[in-house]
Amino acid sequence: MSDRTQSARSRENSDDAGRVAGAGRTATAIGSSISIEQVTRRYGGFLAIDNASLAIAPGEFITLLGPSGSGKTTLLNLIAGFQKVDSGRILVDGAPIQNIPPYRRGFGMVFQSYALFPNMTVTQNVAFPLRMAGIGRAETERRVAETLEMMRLSAHAQKMPSQMSGGQQQRVAIARAIVMRPKVVLMDEPLSALDRRLREEIQIEIRDLHQTIGSTILFVTHDQGEALTLSDRIAVLNAGEIVQIGSPIDIYQHPSNPFVASFIGESNLIAADVVSRAGSSLTLKSRAGVVFHAESNRQTEAGQVSVLVRPERVRIAPQPAAATLPAVVTSSLFLGELLRIEAHLQSGERILIRCTNNAVTAMPAVGETLHVGWDPKDCWVLS
Amino acid sequence: MTAIDARAARDGRADRRNLFGNPAWLLLPAGLFLAFIYALPLLDLFRLSIGGPTLLAHYERVFSVPLYWDSLVRTIGISLSVATICLIFGYPTALLIHRASGFAKVLIAAAIILPYFVAILIRTYSWMVLLGRNGPLNKLLVALGILDAPAQLLFNRGAVLLGISAVLLPLMVLSIYSSVSRINEGLTRAALASGAGPIAVFWRVLLPLTFPGMGAGFLLVFVTSLGFFITPTLLGGPGDQMFAMHITQQADFLSSEGFLQALGVVLLVITLAVVAVAGRFLGFEFIWGGGQISQPGVTASSTGRKAPAKAAAGSGGALTSFLAEAIGWPLLRLLGKLPASTGSITVGTLGGFVILVLLVPIAAVIVISFSKSSYLMFPPPGFSLRWYEKFFSDSQWMASFVTSLTVAVISSVIAVVFGTSAALGIVRSNIRGKTAIMLLLVSPLVVPTVVLGLSLYSLYLRLDLVGTVYGLAAAHAIGGIPLVVVIVAASLQGIDPKLEQAATVHGASPLTVFRLVILPGIAPGIAAAAFFAFLHSFDELVLSLFLSSAHLTTLPLRLWADVNYQLNPVLAVVSTLEVLLVVIGIVLARPVLARRGAGHA
Repeated sequence: MSDRTQSARSRENSDDAGRVAGAGRTATAIGSSISIEQVTRRYGGFLAIDNASLAIAPGEFITLLGPSGSGKTTLLNLIAGFQKVDSGRILVDGAPIQNIPPYRRGFGMVFQSYALFPNMTVTQNVAFPLRMAGIGRAETERRVAETLEMMRLSAHAQKMPSQMSGGQQQRVAIARAIVMRPKVVLMDEPLSALDRRLREEIQIEIRDLHQTIGSTILFVTHDQGEALTLSDRIAVLNAGEIVQIGSPIDIYQHPSNPFVASFIGESNLIAADVVSRAGSSLTLKSRAGVVFHAESNRQTEAGQVSVLVRPERVRIAPQPAAATLPAVVTSSLFLGELLRIEAHLQSGERILIRCTNNAVTAMPAVGETLHVGWDPKDCWVLS
Repeated sequence: MTAIDARAARDGRADRRNLFGNPAWLLLPAGLFLAFIYALPLLDLFRLSIGGPTLLAHYERVFSVPLYWDSLVRTIGISLSVATICLIFGYPTALLIHRASGFAKVLIAAAIILPYFVAILIRTYSWMVLLGRNGPLNKLLVALGILDAPAQLLFNRGAVLLGISAVLLPLMVLSIYSSVSRINEGLTRAALASGAGPIAVFWRVLLPLTFPGMGAGFLLVFVTSLGFFITPTLLGGPGDQMFAMHITQQADFLSSEGFLQALGVVLLVITLAVVAVAGRFLGFEFIWGGGQISQPGVTASSTGRKAPAKAAAGSGGALTSFLAEAIGWPLLRLLGKLPASTGSITVGTLGGFVILVLLVPIAAVIVISFSKSSYLMFPPPGFSLRWYEKFFSDSQWMASFVTSLTVAVISSVIAVVFGTSAALGIVRSNIRGKTAIMLLLVSPLVVPTVVLGLSLYSLYLRLDLVGTVYGLAAAHAIGGIPLVVVIVAASLQGIDPKLEQAATVHGASPLTVFRLVILPGIAPGIAAAAFFAFLHSFDELVLSLFLSSAHLTTLPLRLWADVNYQLNPVLAVVSTLEVLLVVIGIVLARPVLARRGAGHA
């Protein structure tokens, strides 16, 4: 119960209403709540997970996002039961599970390497959890057929895994993970081995699947795009610590620190000093001497701050104006629907700009001077 | 004009490429050597065997005299028992290695591998001491009140089975381990996450996926055991005669020419038939325990992907799935009632027992070697170095030691030169039928040594090579070459072909590529191969029995004579020195072995 309120509160806190877990879904949510309380895990002297706490609401799609070595897979393995916590507790629906072996936790799991049993057909692979649970043959057949149908695999039922493509194999692995309709499904970088087009296709399938079966899904990835697309909430990990938990929009627009800001999306991080504050309006002076304004409700201590301006929020003005600064283009890339422009301010600071290709009449040439500016509302001040 | 020049230049380059890029000719030296000293004598063996009054006269005798027929049946029975024992005890041991981690894993693996390289004669000798009437086992059983008086534990079927199984267990363990370690850990986790307990994971995932490794191990042990002769001679009683023993016994009588060869041919044909059937199902790669020799340009990963597909197609099918339904699942439900810890307890107990059986004999000879007693006693009443003094001051022992050293060095040089050349030839050329060529090159590993010795004896008599250092070294190299080929071929395949392309693109000539890329890559492999070839010759007893003379006595021959004549602690001294040699060798070769292991994964 407390999990639910906690996650609800975190959603209220975000300025933009993110996709809301559970609510508005037609299927009845059958997912479990998971509560990770002050969990620590060491490998020898290396602190893999450092006092991590995370409350996951029933039916929530939560992503553990971080660079390699940040501890996200360790955290997933602790939840799956492949590794033991050194201290702290993991609760599922309020009951501690640290001492339950992985095969009695009743979770579904999808692995990066597919991990399909090579000696079994697709049907046998998907039937495996049902048979392990001692479910009768007729019922097993019915549920396998239903799940294969759902994953559009019916035509491949009698194939061996080695006869299938990577994408098909991963769909079989997903089918095996959901065939028991588990309350929790763990996914360990399931799409990393697939090419981009397939990845996007299966992302949508996973998203739809979540809507249909209502399980709580824990999804591990190092791909920030994937995390933003799929999740109700994202937990960002760095060096064994959970550094921020929030909705995708929240995390993207209001990162809690420079690590999150630079790990998710591209960013302009300007080191500046607070010159004066009038209500929510700050006057700042960058290290190189540029004076600009930013809106921030957060209490920031006077002195050094970092100011985040996302590249797509930087605007190019046709004429010099009061709020614009001249910037000399150093690189200009055509990305299709977008242009990615790097420029230097006169003060020497680098500014990254992303704009749609109709925002400028022609590709800015290297050496050309642009007039750039941003709305004070688009600044996010990090202390 | 310029066009012609260009073509000439291109042709010249093509020739050089043929020399280095498609160096099939490198197979020639080993091919000629083995053809002359290995294939020819075996053909001659066959010729002599049909040289009786009628073509099949000698064979009729083999199959009509109950002594030989019974012995043949007994040999097959013993070998099947040994292979079964090794499988039952070897599987948990392989799992024990697999599940251990860090330093424990290294220790356990070393405990299995070390005995494998210690001479069979020494390990058998140690069992004679341990199981003897005054041996520690008898003393223990009496002290515990299980026996009233020391019993005869030696010279019976049980001792033979124990002795041979102990010798061949490492082969089984390594074979199964290589198969277990190749299983993706994700599969175990996937099974656990799907609700399969440890026993179910073993039964449904581990066991089916390691069938090839189990099959390979079983057949290797079975085939090797068929030709065994040292262990049953020393540990068996009159009722435990194995087939190979008749050949050595008959070899003392010149009158049995022809019949003797028929005995050899029978043993050889049975061995090859088993290997052929096994190769049909497992692929002949099981003999050398490696992957397929791929064509250049075909990357290892792509062949690796094909292999499991083949295995899956082979193991799939109606029969297996019927068996799984009829026996597998009901049995699993029954086993599922056992506590989850049953598996790890079984693995720990059986694996620990195997390590004990492998290490105790070696520890025992080391302890005995430091005995101060004037005759063989275990445990020794006190410790001294008197037997070491005796060994190093005895000119006969020293002479044998020097002989063995000389023969082993020459033999390993022959094996390394011919073997490395052949490995380069087979891996780097575009020659067809690589599997068949590899099969011929490694076939000496499965031909019973007794048969090889018998066939060489006739050749050496004619060439007057019996009792010569070079003759013996050449004979030992027959078994050394396959070892070198397998190890060097594996390290050659470990070199990324892209490295060679990179060197070539940046201006290195084929010779420079060989010097700067290939040679440094295979040098550790060659060093390890040289060590194993050396050890192979240094330990060799059976060929030496046939081919040496009174003037040329190797260390194993002198050991053999002493073991049969009197058990004394000098034998333990020699054994301890050999164990020391093996330990040093393994420590030096460890980086190479470790890299090879990593390459397999």
